[in-house]
This record gives sequence, structure tokens and C-alpha cells, in this order.
Amino acid sequence: MSTVLAIDTSTSRTSVALIAGDKVLFNEFHEDPLAHGEILPVLVAKAMAQNIGIDLVAVGMGPGPFTGLRVGIAFAQSFALGMNVKWHGVCSLDAMAAAILEKDFIVSTDARRKERFWARYQDGKRVNEPQVGKASELEKLGVPIFNEGEYFPDPIAIAKLALNQLSIDQPIYVRKPDAYPLPANVKFREFTTLDLVSAIAMEKEIYGKAGWSAAQFKEEFAQVPKNAHYLAAESDGKLIGYAGIFYVDNVADIHTITVSAEYRRKGIGRELLKRMIDWARVKKASAIMLEMRVGNEEAQPLYIQNGFTEINRRENYYGPGLTAIIMRKEL
Amino acid sequence: MQPIVLGIETSCDETAVGIVQGRKLLANVISSSVEQHARFGGVVPEVASRAHLEAIQQVITQALKDANIKISDIDALAVTAGPGLIGALLVGVSSASGLALGLNKPLYGVNHLSAHIAVDALDNDEKIQPSIALLVSGGHSSILQVNNLASDVIVKGATIDDAAGEAFDKIARIMGLGFPGGPVVDRVAKLGDKNAIAFPRGLTHSNDLVEHQFDFSFSGLKTAVARYLQQTPNYKKADVAASFQEAVVDVLLQKSIAACKESGIDNLVIAGGVAANSRLRELAQERCASAKIRLRIPPAGLCTDNGAMVAALGSLAISEGIEPSQTGISADSAAGISQVIW
Repeated sequence: MSTVLAIDTSTSRTSVALIAGDKVLFNEFHEDPLAHGEILPVLVAKAMAQNIGIDLVAVGMGPGPFTGLRVGIAFAQSFALGMNVKWHGVCSLDAMAAAILEKDFIVSTDARRKERFWARYQDGKRVNEPQVGKASELEKLGVPIFNEGEYFPDPIAIAKLALNQLSIDQPIYVRKPDAYPLPANVKFREFTTLDLVSAIAMEKEIYGKAGWSAAQFKEEFAQVPKNAHYLAAESDGKLIGYAGIFYVDNVADIHTITVSAEYRRKGIGRELLKRMIDWARVKKASAIMLEMRVGNEEAQPLYIQNGFTEINRRENYYGPGLTAIIMRKEL
Repeated sequence: MQPIVLGIETSCDETAVGIVQGRKLLANVISSSVEQHARFGGVVPEVASRAHLEAIQQVITQALKDANIKISDIDALAVTAGPGLIGALLVGVSSASGLALGLNKPLYGVNHLSAHIAVDALDNDEKIQPSIALLVSGGHSSILQVNNLASDVIVKGATIDDAAGEAFDKIARIMGLGFPGGPVVDRVAKLGDKNAIAFPRGLTHSNDLVEHQFDFSFSGLKTAVARYLQQTPNYKKADVAASFQEAVVDVLLQKSIAACKESGIDNLVIAGGVAANSRLRELAQERCASAKIRLRIPPAGLCTDNGAMVAALGSLAISEGIEPSQTGISADSAAGISQVIW
């Protein structure tokens, strides 16, 4: 009879269970997507207060949001080292599927950015490697979908799977890191009136009716160079992005950072943002503000990583029903 | 017997574990993901975090081997809890929490910046507090008055824009010298003339000194170098590197020595990654000798991020009778120098 401590941090939940054979000695969880690091040691300390020696540490290897996922794995490996026992990795989705008795189904967890981590199960077995994709793509498969919220990776299932399967030793990330070297052929330069035609076309394509018109561009642009700064990113002579910032009365305001759809996630927005921040510093601004559309999840992590925090929301800012998040960074 | 402390550092791109016993250094193992970041020209948080998790178990095991001890010989653990990249910090904090609970030993969450200064205590019996500390790295540049490292540190000045190490990275990037900038500029500068170009010394004019006596600014210098490169098509890389480096080092030391004089403290400690810079070390010796200030700089290998410094600060906390951290440390990416122990 083996005593197993099991941990999962692959979802918004931090779960810990302690089982000895078929007996569940401890099984608790805490719901908070941003507190795995603080909660996990507290739960494990509580489980270990039972003063029972353990034979194995089992841990959910994901897929799941990276930072929280690594908390569970890093902890489990070191805890096992300290206890002088082995650790064993399990696919977290398998531990979620264990409670579901359908013949053919999908389990899916929140992968952020409006995407899902998922895997399909038939006759009690997983039939594909864990994937990431849009919810609409999963629905097309036409089998029942069991989502995070109603179901979670069950730590008791993790413990049992660990006793019956080979260990998965690497985190199941599924996604690549969000980092790309800037494509070699991208150039950054001052935005000029010659860029207006392409920029207006991009505005229309990306923002629809809320996009800037030529008149709005010219109005913004009139403040350059004293109170405004506009940069263009081009690739092989084609405009692929631009950014503008405005400075008045000690605070700089980023008016736009736009990257054409096919060039996104290549570090171009990041570079434009960095250059905007640099300009604000040169102007000795004390803070930078920007407005971001609610639902623009693609951009928000970039702003947060660069030190922006949400300070307010403005309803109907981009038109009826379109709320703006106001973000600010102190310089 | 003095307690044995194992320290874990993962705040940026080095996965590092050090082991000390009291003030004695037993092991210092570092695995760096810097090469993976070079093509981005800076540290990419997710890449660094993945590399930490991949390396940390091996680094711990190697450190135990180097120290020639068993894991059960460890009396306490210490870990960098901030400041740093949050995802990177969490790998170290979670790993240290796991070890502490598995071994049933106390854990100290410690400040990365204070740890850079604490490393000076290793293999060094002199007590040199109070002291003025010049803390210079890729993320920080400040002058501190250290009355007691664990409990009484006053910030006298700090950079108002870029950190000194950041300026090195940016200049290296503009000149295409590679990443990280510190070591490569140092190397190239050895071949150049440090007086070839008169680059500005930020915040040293008398009117700047009124408000910014002990503050630094490197963004003007960066702009001046960029402008020089633009206007001088046939510039000599070595001369630019040497003159730029001299401008940084000159200001760092001018202000540090002024801080010693102003506060009547004749001990100066230079710490942080930039303290590994050979010109800074050389000029600091000269200027401190003529100002009759006692200078301490940790060996270059202990200036850049490492685990020994974290263990050293944990060891200091124990000797000062400070309580260990509560179970469930909150890593804080923006922790200030005033939060020494969590």
C-alpha cells in the first residue's frame, strides 16, 4: 500500500490530496488563479500535519497557464528531494477526465487569450496529445465537452494515475514561449504623411468603424515633433505597424499601437511600445497612460509586463457597448 | 557549529544555488540561460522561467556535491523572493518552499538587492558596518547607507532612468557587440582610449546636485553615444566603449565617494553585476586610496547573480535572530530594498 501526496496547479485551482491505498487522508483545494505560489505550501503543510510518511509525490504536469503550472512542478520536485522519495508527473487533463463516464468526450481548461487546452477521450483512453485551440474549433468535433469550472483535475486521480502509468517528466506547455526575435527585415522609422494611405486602410481593416480617418490622423500628427511622436514599422517597404504618443502637462498618452494581423506575435508591438516609453522618458513625463479596448486580451499582457496597471474603465469609449480600460505606468 | 544554509536565486536568467556555513562559502553553482536570450537582445521572461525549471534540480544536486554534504545536513533555506521577473522568481520560491517542507527546515525569503551586498560577508571576518554601498546591476543603480543590512538601510540615491547595467546592454546593442553588454564592453574597452571622446557625466552639474546629489542618470549618456555613432561613420568601437565605460564608472565613483564624505562613513562596498567591471574595480581602488576610504568589492564571480549571496543573507538573518518567513511566501517582483526578509 503506497502513501501518495498529489498536487495540481494547472488550473485556477490549487489542489492537494494525500492518499494511503484507497483511503483519502486529505483532500483540499483553493480557488485563486494568481496565488498558487502562496497557497500550495500552506495546503501541503496542512496535509503533512497528519505526520504520515509518504512514498511518492505525484504532480499534474499540465497543460495549464505556465506560471501557476511551474509552481506545482517546482514544488513537487523539491519536496520529493527533501523527503527522499520519487516524484511522478501525470497529464492534468487525464486527472480531470477520470471522473467522466462518457464513451467519447473532450475535457478542456482555460488557456487564457480566449483559447482552451483540451484532449479527447474514447473508451476511457486519451486519443490525442493535449492541444490548444479556440472553443469554436472544439465544438465542431461534435462530442460532449466538459469544461474547467464544473470539473477540475482531481488530485486523487493524479495519485492513482501516478501509481499506474509511466511518469511524464517534462511540463506539458503545448504553447511556445511568447517570444520571437524581431524578424530581420523589419525596420522602425519616423511615421510620415506618406504612410497615411496605408495606415488608414489598416485602421479600417482592424478597427472597422472605430478606426481613425485621415482628418483624425492629421490632427494627431500636427503635434509632431514637439508634443507627439509617431513611429512606423515597415517590412520590405510595406507599412506593417505604427504607434503614436502624445505629451502634455507632465503625462504622456499613448494614442495608438497598431500591428497588422499577419505580423502580430513577432515582438513588433513590444518594440513599438518600448520606443514610446523611451520617448516619454526623454520628455521627462512622470507617467504614461493608455486606453485599451475590453476584449483586447492579446495586448494586455504586453502592457502589464511593461509596468502598466489598470486604473479605471470608461464605458462606451469606442462606441456603444465598447468599454475602454485605462492603464497607467509611473516613470 | 555554524548553521548550513542553502540559497536559491532565480530572479532573472541565472538558475543558481549556493551553500554557506556561517560566513564560509561551501558551494556556488550557476546555470545560465543567457545564450538563449542573446538573439532577443534582452531576457525573455517565459524563456527564463522554463530554463529555471529545467535546471534547478540539477543545480541543487551539484551544489550539494560541491559542498560535499547530504541534503539532510542543511539547517535552513533561503530564496530570492524579489525583486525580479515574477514567473522566474516563482520557480525558485516554489522549489525552496518544497525543500523546506520536505526537510522540515526553516525558510527565509530574502531581497535580491540586499543579497548582493550580503555576499561581501563571505570569507571575510571584518565587520564593516556602517558602510556606504554602491549597488549597480542590470536592473538597479543606487547608493545606500547600510547601518545594518538586515534592519537599517537608507536609500541615499538611485537612477532616475536606466540602470548602469542596462546602459551597457543598450550601448552594446547599438554597436552590435552582443548581449549581455557588460562583459563585452569591458573587454572591448581594454583596447581603446578612455579619453578619446568626452561623453557627458549625468547629474553632475552643480544645479543638478541640488535635487539629485546622489542620483544617477544614464539616458543622456546613451543618447550622446548614439548621436556620436551616427555622426562619426568611421568610429573606433574600442574608443567608444572605453570612453562610454569611463563616463559611467566616473560618475558612479564620484557620487559614492561624495556619499561617504557627506555621511562621515569611510567604508565603501561595491556590489551587483556591474561591480564585476574591471575598470570600475581599478578606478575604485585608486580613488578610495586617495580619499582614505576602505573599499570592499566581492570577487568578480560573486558580483553577478548567484545563490551564495542568497545563502549569505539567510545566514546573516539567522545570526541576527530574525524569524524565518511564514509558510507560503509571496514573491514580489517590485520589492524595494527596505523589505530585506519576508
